Amino acid sequence: MSSRWGRLYNGETTIDFVGRRWWGFIASGTLVLVTLFSLLFQGLNLGIDFEGGVAWEAPVKNGLTIDSATAILEDNNIESRNAKVQTLGSGAGERIRVQVDDQTAEVRSAVQKSLADTAKVEAGEVSVSSVSSSWGRSITVKAIRALLVFFLLVSMYIAWRFEWKMAIAAIMAMVHDVVISVGVYSLLGFEVTPSTVIAFLTILGFSLYDTIVVFDKVHDNTGRFSASRVSYEDIVNVSMNQVLMRSLNTSLAAVLPVLSLLVLGSGVFGAVALQEFALALFVGLLTGAYSSIFIATPLLSILKSREPKFRSLIGQRSLKGDMAILMQTGSSVSRKQSARSGVDNAGTKVNPIDAVTAVLSHPPRPRKKTRR
Amino acid sequence: MRRKLLFTLIATVFVSIALVGGNLIAGNKPSLGLDLQGGASVTLEPKGDFDTAALDVAVEIIRARVDSIGVAEPEIIRQGSTVVINLPGVKDQQRALEIVGRTGEVLLRPVLQSGMRNTDETTTTIAGQTTLPGATSSTVAGATTTVAASTTSQPASSGGLGSSRRPMSAATTTTPITSPATTAPSTTLVVAEGSVATTTVVAADGAATTTTVAIAVPPSVPQQDISMTNEPSKQAILEGRDGLVYFTGPSQADGQVFANDAAAQINNGSWVVAVGLRGGASGEDKWNLLAAQCFQKAATCPTGQIAIVLDGVVISAPVVQTANFNGSVQISGDFKEAEAKDLAKILEFGAVPVRFDSPTAQTVSATLGKDSLNAALISGLVGVLLVLLFLFFYYRRLAIVVLGGLAISGMLQWSAISWLSERNGLALSLSGITGIIVSVGVTVDSYVVFFEKLKDDVLGGKTLKNSASRSFDSAWRTIVAADTVSLIGAVVLWFLTVGSVRGFAFFLGLSTLCDIIVAYFFTRPTVILMSRSKWMNGAKMFGVRARRTDGGSDLLAESSTEGVVAR
Repeated sequence: MSSRWGRLYNGETTIDFVGRRWWGFIASGTLVLVTLFSLLFQGLNLGIDFEGGVAWEAPVKNGLTIDSATAILEDNNIESRNAKVQTLGSGAGERIRVQVDDQTAEVRSAVQKSLADTAKVEAGEVSVSSVSSSWGRSITVKAIRALLVFFLLVSMYIAWRFEWKMAIAAIMAMVHDVVISVGVYSLLGFEVTPSTVIAFLTILGFSLYDTIVVFDKVHDNTGRFSASRVSYEDIVNVSMNQVLMRSLNTSLAAVLPVLSLLVLGSGVFGAVALQEFALALFVGLLTGAYSSIFIATPLLSILKSREPKFRSLIGQRSLKGDMAILMQTGSSVSRKQSARSGVDNAGTKVNPIDAVTAVLSHPPRPRKKTRR
Repeated sequence: MRRKLLFTLIATVFVSIALVGGNLIAGNKPSLGLDLQGGASVTLEPKGDFDTAALDVAVEIIRARVDSIGVAEPEIIRQGSTVVINLPGVKDQQRALEIVGRTGEVLLRPVLQSGMRNTDETTTTIAGQTTLPGATSSTVAGATTTVAASTTSQPASSGGLGSSRRPMSAATTTTPITSPATTAPSTTLVVAEGSVATTTVVAADGAATTTTVAIAVPPSVPQQDISMTNEPSKQAILEGRDGLVYFTGPSQADGQVFANDAAAQINNGSWVVAVGLRGGASGEDKWNLLAAQCFQKAATCPTGQIAIVLDGVVISAPVVQTANFNGSVQISGDFKEAEAKDLAKILEFGAVPVRFDSPTAQTVSATLGKDSLNAALISGLVGVLLVLLFLFFYYRRLAIVVLGGLAISGMLQWSAISWLSERNGLALSLSGITGIIVSVGVTVDSYVVFFEKLKDDVLGGKTLKNSASRSFDSAWRTIVAADTVSLIGAVVLWFLTVGSVRGFAFFLGLSTLCDIIVAYFFTRPTVILMSRSKWMNGAKMFGVRARRTDGGSDLLAESSTEGVVAR
């Protein structure tokens, strides 16, 4: 059990998350830049529900091909140049999807019948959906408005339940998730449908749940360490390591069903509708798990360590063994004895008064050392 | 304490099973959304200005139409001013649009004859109005020629409802007109068996009803001039809400002669409906022209009744009591409160008809729906199994709690969905199912938060027995905080979006609530009770190494880095 896995299993890791925060920031910054470029040059592949238009979906059977589908469009006086015709799924579930601008109800029916005739199936086997462009716009506006209200309420709640700095960090992480997910969709050209939006919203909730669990731990530990001079970075590091296994566990527990939907549901069974969900969920889960570890908490530590209480301790981090002790005992006893320290003196010089009060509030060290 | 926990646990399990059992006995089961069973879906959005009451009426019209075509389990959902209509099994989108897309309007038609609908198979004819002055000479009212004149008097006189014709206390009303049509079928309409004298026997309203109705239509009126479908310019045979059948003349005005102020009110102890008339040629003048004919019982309106027709159904056919209306109309009759309010609503709808746009229309093929459902169910189950396997590997016997919790949560959700399917027309869509599958992750999260806390405490040297209850308290705070955020999300989405996103919000909220309930009422008692039992004695049983007994903590405090982490 002394392996890395064993330590992880028992929650005894001592990873210096705060020290490595720039890794996460740089990685995310790059991804955000890529997203912006992709949005600028490639844009999003919005489904008809957002742009308006008509889409037919017919089973690939009896010589219904992309070409014959295009021909059917021409027969009905629809410009096939602007049409998106593609195949979805595979095997028995393979379908052709034809997407064009808004059409009248008569044309919609006519194309549906022609497609069904070509594929030699009943007309009911061909799905049709039509959305007017104004409706699409209003859906988009509503979704964005809902998202903003959600952000606002959630930050208010976190600010009330924890503190406003946590709210900022959590919201930043959520915005990060949205941006990165949008970037993935833009870059890979996946179609954005209401299902996608739903999936993203689920993930936002999920990612937020993750973040809140970490913050709750930080909150607890801040109270626990309040008597001793422990830097905020230490608190964050300790908390992160304490909840790391939980974060990994829950992410795994959430990814498993989604993977099953993606691989089994849409891969093996060829259910296209599932694919839309599962893909967005998958992308979102990954960014969500990533952001609560590499964005939300490091951000929080940056925001919080500027506070007077922690300012003098900036840059002090108990690493490895010291961190383990910190986790176990709830105080940074070993710092002065540790060969690694030496920062401590510099820290006290910066703000002597602060240091004195802190020292005064300290319980006698020997007692702490032998405690428990 | 122990007894209390045991009671909570047993009660929770019992309630969950009882809920499922109750729903099963009541025959409630989740109804599937269109994307899972195939069918047509149309979204309607009112065009321009509209009135909430009028929208209610419009939705009622649509509901009646959908019911009349016999679609199984139609779903009509109001989302703010938007109306979503789901017609499972309807394959043709155009047909669906025809059914619901056009809105009915309120027409005012003079009543030529009225009669009772036969409810039994024997075709008994009914007599039209025959005693009206001037009817004989008219081309229209020629009921006299064909009908055994068994009817002797006007229906209006039966109710004696004209009694309210006296100076009105309400300022808005000037002249009352009585409405026999809303009373029970009046006895003065005599059904005379044997007097089969009709020229046409028509089934009213074509569709579902097989009841035969006989109306005496004068031979002088060509068949093709008679509309069975409420065509405004033609004579039409229409069903009344009261069970009578009306033969009406061409529409002479529509609901827009009325002002948008119809109200049900009490007048001399009985309910009446008062409505203002719009001024000018398209309002008051038009109405008075019609009213004058009816008051004089002219050939075009021999019965003296004006039929208020909504979407082909005669809602009310009051008898006109004065020739000239000045600014407002009062309709009295033997109204119940609900009837009066309903009529007021319909008049309001007539005054400001709601026109709909259909911004989205969708048909989903049934096979596609079934495939999606199967794929979702199978892969969802596999996913949940994988999660359980993982948890069992990781938390050993504690995973049994998760299994139980998921079962309870599943039962609660199934019950809620089944019940709401039956009551509120909730339908389980693909996004809902996905939401539920994903919510397994959230539910498991709550357990993991709890179990990790438990492990922490046990690793810290506490006994399982001592830490179970305390760990829960601390985990509970986290769970509530995190679930509150999910609930905020669900509520915001529910109120601010439409369509499938909104449906999803519901399931998100539902599963979050179930999570909270299960955590408190199932997980807590189960784990605390388990922690006291011998079965869980020994930390290994839930994936924690045995407690250090060798003074490890001292070693820890003084040891080097390596000594601590690489034990």
